[in-house]
Amino acid sequence: MLVFLQSLMSGVLIGGVYALIGIGLTIIFGVMRVINFAHGDILMIGMYLTFILFSVLGIDPFVSIAISIPLMFFFGGLLQRVFINRVLGALPQNQILLTIGLGLIMSNTIMLIFTSDYKILTTSYSSSSVSLAGVSVSLPLAISFVITAAITALLYWFLIKTDTGQAIRATAQDREAAQLMGINVKRMSIIAFGIGSALAGTAGALISPTYYIFPQVGSTFTLKAFVITVLGGMGSIVGATLGGIIIGVAESMGAVYISSGWKDVVVYVLFLLVLLFKPAGLMGKSRM
Amino acid sequence: MAILEIKHVSKFFGGLAANSDVSFDVEQGMIMGLIGPNGAGKTTLFNCITGYYPPSRGEVLFKGQRMNGLEPDRVCKLGMARTWQKVRPLAKLSVLDNVVVGALCRTNSVKVARDLAHEQLKVVGLDHKSAFLAGGLPIGERKKLEVARVLATKPELLLLDEVMGGLNPAESEEIIQLILDIKKTGVTQIVIEHDMKAIMRLSDRIVVLNSGEKLAEGGPQEIVSNPEVIEAYLGSEH
Amino acid sequence: MRPIGTSLTNNRGTSPVTIVAGLALLAALLLFPQLVKSPYALHIMILLFLSTIMGESWNILGGYTGQYSVGHAAYFGVGAYTTMVLMQNHQVAPWYGVWAGVALVVVVAVAIGSICFRLRGPYFVLASIAVAEVMRLSAMNLKDLTNGAEGILAVEIPAFTLGGTVITDFLSKVPFYYIGLALAILTIVVTWLVQHSKLGYCFQAIREDQDAAHSLGIHLSLYKNVALIISAIFTALAGSFYAIYVGFIDPTTVLALDLSVQIVLICIIGGIGTIWGPVIGALVLVPLSEALRSNLITQMLIKSGLVSGESAIGIFLKEHLSHAHALIYGILVVIVILFMPDGVLGFAKKLLAKRNRRTA
Repeated sequence: MLVFLQSLMSGVLIGGVYALIGIGLTIIFGVMRVINFAHGDILMIGMYLTFILFSVLGIDPFVSIAISIPLMFFFGGLLQRVFINRVLGALPQNQILLTIGLGLIMSNTIMLIFTSDYKILTTSYSSSSVSLAGVSVSLPLAISFVITAAITALLYWFLIKTDTGQAIRATAQDREAAQLMGINVKRMSIIAFGIGSALAGTAGALISPTYYIFPQVGSTFTLKAFVITVLGGMGSIVGATLGGIIIGVAESMGAVYISSGWKDVVVYVLFLLVLLFKPAGLMGKSRM
Repeated sequence: MAILEIKHVSKFFGGLAANSDVSFDVEQGMIMGLIGPNGAGKTTLFNCITGYYPPSRGEVLFKGQRMNGLEPDRVCKLGMARTWQKVRPLAKLSVLDNVVVGALCRTNSVKVARDLAHEQLKVVGLDHKSAFLAGGLPIGERKKLEVARVLATKPELLLLDEVMGGLNPAESEEIIQLILDIKKTGVTQIVIEHDMKAIMRLSDRIVVLNSGEKLAEGGPQEIVSNPEVIEAYLGSEH
Repeated sequence: MRPIGTSLTNNRGTSPVTIVAGLALLAALLLFPQLVKSPYALHIMILLFLSTIMGESWNILGGYTGQYSVGHAAYFGVGAYTTMVLMQNHQVAPWYGVWAGVALVVVVAVAIGSICFRLRGPYFVLASIAVAEVMRLSAMNLKDLTNGAEGILAVEIPAFTLGGTVITDFLSKVPFYYIGLALAILTIVVTWLVQHSKLGYCFQAIREDQDAAHSLGIHLSLYKNVALIISAIFTALAGSFYAIYVGFIDPTTVLALDLSVQIVLICIIGGIGTIWGPVIGALVLVPLSEALRSNLITQMLIKSGLVSGESAIGIFLKEHLSHAHALIYGILVVIVILFMPDGVLGFAKKLLAKRNRRTA
């Protein structure tokens, strides 16, 4: 029973981080209808950024988020402005290929600079655990969850209460109508990609104390992000949040009760099932 | 003999009734006009008839055979074909190849299909543009191409969805002549149109839809003088 | 003079010049191993043939039918593993094992198709990737069958005999050259046959507008599955060929997403939906890849004086450029999608059309 609770708890905690990744992807899709296949690689860059800030400047990974967020936001906005913007009208297949290409460039550039060696970021508390409701869980994971919850709350506030946030939601709902109302949809796309990238980068920062850091780590996360967003409904933030937690729990349970080698297969099979039977996801379509 | 029988067809999308208990028959060889304001459910009805999606209720009988739930390709092979309200050329293929695709519905030989395609293109007056890319044609010619393509499938019943939409008077006149020529070959047609003059010239009978329901049915003169029809539809134009 | 916007696939028949040139090229290719003895040159040609086969196969499903599978490594891997496992563990000669691979891949393809073809556009792409990943992970985990991550090393290929005489013992690259050439020509011929048959028209109609094609009497799932099966068979043949030629396979080489992306790249660089597009793609990618791997580019930069061998950049390039081929793939994809979405062939056609307009 304890094992069950433990894996459930871990699953929920990591699910929070997954939710961040999913939310980022779903915002990008919601606003631009682009399927960002480089999302995991953007997360990977967030991981390396955190690693550099830690190993060179000695900044704790959770603290360095304050620096990573604006940097990753800027990076994402740049990507959108220079590359993604040009294919907004193209075939979706071409859009995916473009983001795949960008992802390849990112992961291989990092590989050239840092080599494929696995890097580990160990803090003083990397292996500490904390007791939550009688169940022992990893401390970094617990901290990640708290930060994730805070960021998600902040994001909700931004999207609902601020003018820019509402403009983004309007663009996601109906791009043409938003444009007619005077919203600069091009700027909204840049901001959306920036936010999506910042969220991915943050997720990378949050998991860096507990995951191996290597250039190819992005692709697993990209696929996971898609499972989460399709499960939750492309374009729905609430859906991505739920999806993230569900996938986190499924993965955690899968690793414990089946085997760690097959846990990714569990996730992909779930993905295919969702695509086949409920392609609109739990929350249905595009209501940010 | 009724080639098409629509019996109490309804189509629901969630809570919205796009078609509601629509019934009428189409006699072989006639031209049936289908009119109604925007959103009346005309294209939805076409979609239900041709298998794009099945009706929620009711039956569609074509030559006495039940069509509910049949896939669009099956429907086409059985002899019922349709054009699209928003024209759908196979853009990267040539004008000729577009019609060849239609002709291949009836033959497995590309050579035979090409000859058939040339014939159909001559009928609509587009044979001189056989080598052009379909995506590059102006709207009037795209509509003609779509008609040629669908005629190549040798339909017995042809459903034309606003085939004159967006055309200038000269182009519309060409289409009207085309529709009358098609009638001479014995093909039955149902024509959705907003151009009332054209509908009056073409139709043997007219069905009027409004908000998903059949409002009226009758000869052109009857319909034009029907007060309900005038109020619902013609009123806004006159 | 052809007016602007005309399709260039006019089927007016090939001119005698083209036929003679084609035959001359074929003769040159057949004589090549007799005149050029360098194993490295043969190796490059074999890589070219392999890339051509992979590209042309994908083209049938992706280029002509518009179903962009980014999971074709699944079929490559089925071919590779079937042939290899049968040869290593059951002493089945590869010229029989290959057919087992083909039979298996047809079953796999139909299964994958039944899942993926219900989806459209980007969702199809994602599903194809997920399916290939499931296969890769399965190969990693089913160690009894596939030897897992360690892969399978071919000990020895049996000699090929016909009626008592040894035709070849596969010790040199020459037999592989001819097999590769034969397969490449076969795939090109099949593509040509498809393009000029009813299949080709139906495939392209599905690509251009699936619903319109449906309403014109085209049975969508039938034709999509036919395209997939043809595509999968030739990709599996390429996989089997690769396995026997290289002699070693593991899930990371024959079932990886990288490979799937590479296959797509071969096609889009040259021009999807055309017979010669994948060939051009292969002609661009293989020399580029090899030049990077063998440090040729770095040496040229140093020799030409643009970069000093001792400088920081020089040392960096010397050490690292050979690993960068995936990076180059990424850059190429981005360039092609942004500036040449119809590939080299499409780009060339546009230039020609512009020139025709100017001289008109």
